[in-house]
Amino acid sequence: MRRLLPVAVAALALFSAGPFLWSVLTSLKPAGELFRVPPTWIPRSPSLDNYRDVFEQRPFARYLLNSLLVAAVSTLITLAAAAPAAYALARLRLRGAALAEKAILAFALFPPAVLLVPLFVAAREAGALNSRLGVALVHAALNLPFAVWSLASFFRAFPAELEDAARVDGFSRAGVLLRVVLPVSAPALAATAILVFIFSWNEFVISLTFLTRDELRTVPVGVAMLSGVTVYEIPWGQISAAVVITTLPVVAAVLAFQRGIVRGLSAGAVKG
Amino acid sequence: MRAWIGTIAVSAVLALLPGCGKDSGGTVIRFVVQPDAGGGFREIVDRFHNAHPEIRVEMVEGPASTDSREEMYIGAFMAGDSPYDVVLMDVVWVPKFASQGWLAPLDDRFPEPARAAFLPGDVKAGIWEGKCYRVPLRSDAGMLYWRTDLAGKPPETFEELAAKARELKTADRGGFVFQGRQYEGLVCAFLEVLWGHGGDVLDGQGNVVLDRPEGVEALRWLAGLVGDGAPAGVTTYQEEEARAAFQEGRAAFMRNWPYAWTKMQEDGSPVKGKVGIVPMVHAPGKASAATLGGWGFGISKTAKHPDAAWTFVEFATAPEQQKLLNAKNGAIPTRRALFEDAEILAANPHYPDLLKVLLAARPRPVHARYSQISQALQRHLSAALVKKETPEEAIRQASSEIRGIVGK
Amino acid sequence: MLAVPLAVGLAAGVGGVGDVLRDRGMGRAAWNTLVFAGLSVTLEMGLGLAFALLLNREFRGRGLARAMAILPWALPTAVMAMSWRWIFSDSWGIANDLPRTLGLMNEPVAWLGRPATAMAALIAADVWKTTPFVTLILLAGLQGVPRDLHEAMSLDGAGPVRRFLWVTLPLLRPAIALALVFRLIQALGIFDLVWVLTGGGPADATRTVSLEAYDSVFRHLEPARGAAITLVSGAFIFAVALALGALARGRHAE
Repeated sequence: MRRLLPVAVAALALFSAGPFLWSVLTSLKPAGELFRVPPTWIPRSPSLDNYRDVFEQRPFARYLLNSLLVAAVSTLITLAAAAPAAYALARLRLRGAALAEKAILAFALFPPAVLLVPLFVAAREAGALNSRLGVALVHAALNLPFAVWSLASFFRAFPAELEDAARVDGFSRAGVLLRVVLPVSAPALAATAILVFIFSWNEFVISLTFLTRDELRTVPVGVAMLSGVTVYEIPWGQISAAVVITTLPVVAAVLAFQRGIVRGLSAGAVKG
Repeated sequence: MRAWIGTIAVSAVLALLPGCGKDSGGTVIRFVVQPDAGGGFREIVDRFHNAHPEIRVEMVEGPASTDSREEMYIGAFMAGDSPYDVVLMDVVWVPKFASQGWLAPLDDRFPEPARAAFLPGDVKAGIWEGKCYRVPLRSDAGMLYWRTDLAGKPPETFEELAAKARELKTADRGGFVFQGRQYEGLVCAFLEVLWGHGGDVLDGQGNVVLDRPEGVEALRWLAGLVGDGAPAGVTTYQEEEARAAFQEGRAAFMRNWPYAWTKMQEDGSPVKGKVGIVPMVHAPGKASAATLGGWGFGISKTAKHPDAAWTFVEFATAPEQQKLLNAKNGAIPTRRALFEDAEILAANPHYPDLLKVLLAARPRPVHARYSQISQALQRHLSAALVKKETPEEAIRQASSEIRGIVGK
Repeated sequence: MLAVPLAVGLAAGVGGVGDVLRDRGMGRAAWNTLVFAGLSVTLEMGLGLAFALLLNREFRGRGLARAMAILPWALPTAVMAMSWRWIFSDSWGIANDLPRTLGLMNEPVAWLGRPATAMAALIAADVWKTTPFVTLILLAGLQGVPRDLHEAMSLDGAGPVRRFLWVTLPLLRPAIALALVFRLIQALGIFDLVWVLTGGGPADATRTVSLEAYDSVFRHLEPARGAAITLVSGAFIFAVALALGALARGRHAE
């Protein structure tokens, strides 16, 4: 069993990173090498031209900043709104809680593409077009069902005795949530935050239609705007480079967030 | 810790607040365009601002995918009160948008005599139920690329093309490549074969005539090539896959749009100087045909400044601007006179050949529900190409579905 | 916040429900969607559970391994789908070159060019992309499994398999239910990946319900039909998700 561990980890790494690695290799190939048959694995004459082109053709640094803002704010809004709702569903024996939970789930069923036109009308009436905050709010709304369900199911797994003890110590409901439940639920919060953050980071349709000013655009829209001179050309090399650029900040964020999973574990061990 | 998060949240929210209304009240017109990698559109807008300082043009660069840009227009139109005054349209959007009442007719501003300066196919594609809705900006049409070093002379008939493709096929070179994936490009490629056989999808009265013998024959020819004169993988090809294969010397013939010619002639291209273009082949006694593509300007019915919008459309489609767009973005002009322009000819020695193709170009079936017709065609053409349906079955089924769609 | 636009959009769809139920093309799309969702979610749940158990063990470089495990989820679907098209290409794709180099295949296969292999390729790309979603939720769920319980059972002589079945799995049930419900919803609504990778072809073999809905709204300008499709499929997905969720969670657990 112990000896199998490195093999299993290697398999996981290969599975997860393999296709991404292929993108990295493709991004380093100059135009002439892209269509070679059979394909070269290691670029014969590696170059960073594709990366340069990506930043030259589009203001990608700007797009990265916009995406970061939208994703971070929508993640904060989502968690701030979902945590109390989830706690209420999980703990306060409210009348109709089960029904409310199912109703919340129902909102997760509608793909953004179908919601687009009505959302567009609503956003225009609210003056939220060409506003990154507007997009962050829509992302938060789209993420809310998942976040509520996710946190509620983890809160339920949390032993109620601890909360009862805190209540006896004079904490209010909100106090219990903030000081007892949330710290111990760090793994659930971290996992939910990562998933919600990445959803917002990658969302395309809403960002495309709501943000038409170039200086407000997000990364996925920016990638879709990479183009050759004519309509038909597909700049594979640049797209691969964009994949790599887009992913690195998320990997960094995940590396930071995933500590939350470990920390939550030790916190739970101490208090539990 | 929590205070810290709070500070970040508040400052982030503040950073995101929309810039306060900067609408100065002047005349602003907007349109969506493909990413302007060549820079031609930006320069046209600059020139326009110099000539008409009282009007501001806001050019919104959309995604490279035509579908995504169509979505931007449709989303805005459906929501009502579209922010786009000028609509830069693909040929097939015209009947769809016009039948929804989204476009303003341009007959008064763009009368018959003015239209005569343009290529006939491009003008025809802008007409819906007798009214004109589009001024052509750039033309496009499908054609046959052939390797001058492999084939002595270009094939003329379908039989010759198939025979040559089989003959020139080797272990690492396919014969004929085209767009075979289930998408709009497949319909474009098939229509050229269908028209070249003397067939059509709809007749002049809008009746479905696809299931006449020519239709079956056309599809039998195209589907018969897959895995034989054409590589099996052609059922996944879009424009770029076909071009890459041909350009790397892995195909002897190719159906594609004119953009590929420019790429073939770039330095480092393995087929530089070895490529010829001709109109798509035809059946004996029938004429060649090309599927028309291309873009043009329409004006939104709800445009707040229709006169300013027209001023821009007229300016942007004038000869000097078409020349600029040709030089910068490789856009094919829609004005006939430009095909005799010395500068354009010097940069594009193949234009006399291309003009022959463009004059043979025909619009795809002009119908308000073209996208449904195309979907039915795509479904059954693809099924015939992957041998899930026989050509006879595919044509019969597609025809009956299209009859349901057009209601005739 | 979503309620108002939803109501506006869906009210239009009610009248079209009957037509959608009788539509033959819809039947085909529904079947494709079910096959896709059934196979991909099953594979994802299995792989995700294995990865979560692995990442919950202690070893050097675990943080990095976790980040890597999440990597596929972090890539924008539409962009990565372009890369998958590249990977599956018949002439310059590594999905052809690798088996050829290893001597497993002589002829190149146009993975996306035949109905059965196109669906398989689609599922492979989806499993790769969304397994991290399952992994992450189950990994968080595993944090709630007390270690002392494992140790106690270990002392009682229970092997790793029995410990997993008797301790880990029951305690992991809520997390499994959560991952299952949301993966099903996502898989049954699959859009981006199909749109870019195959466009629904060849021969409609990978055409899904959400592609039908999308085409109705944006290609055919029939928003009412799009809303009706969403309504019908939404009701179906809702029922399936609730039933499976309840099953996996265990009714008594609440």
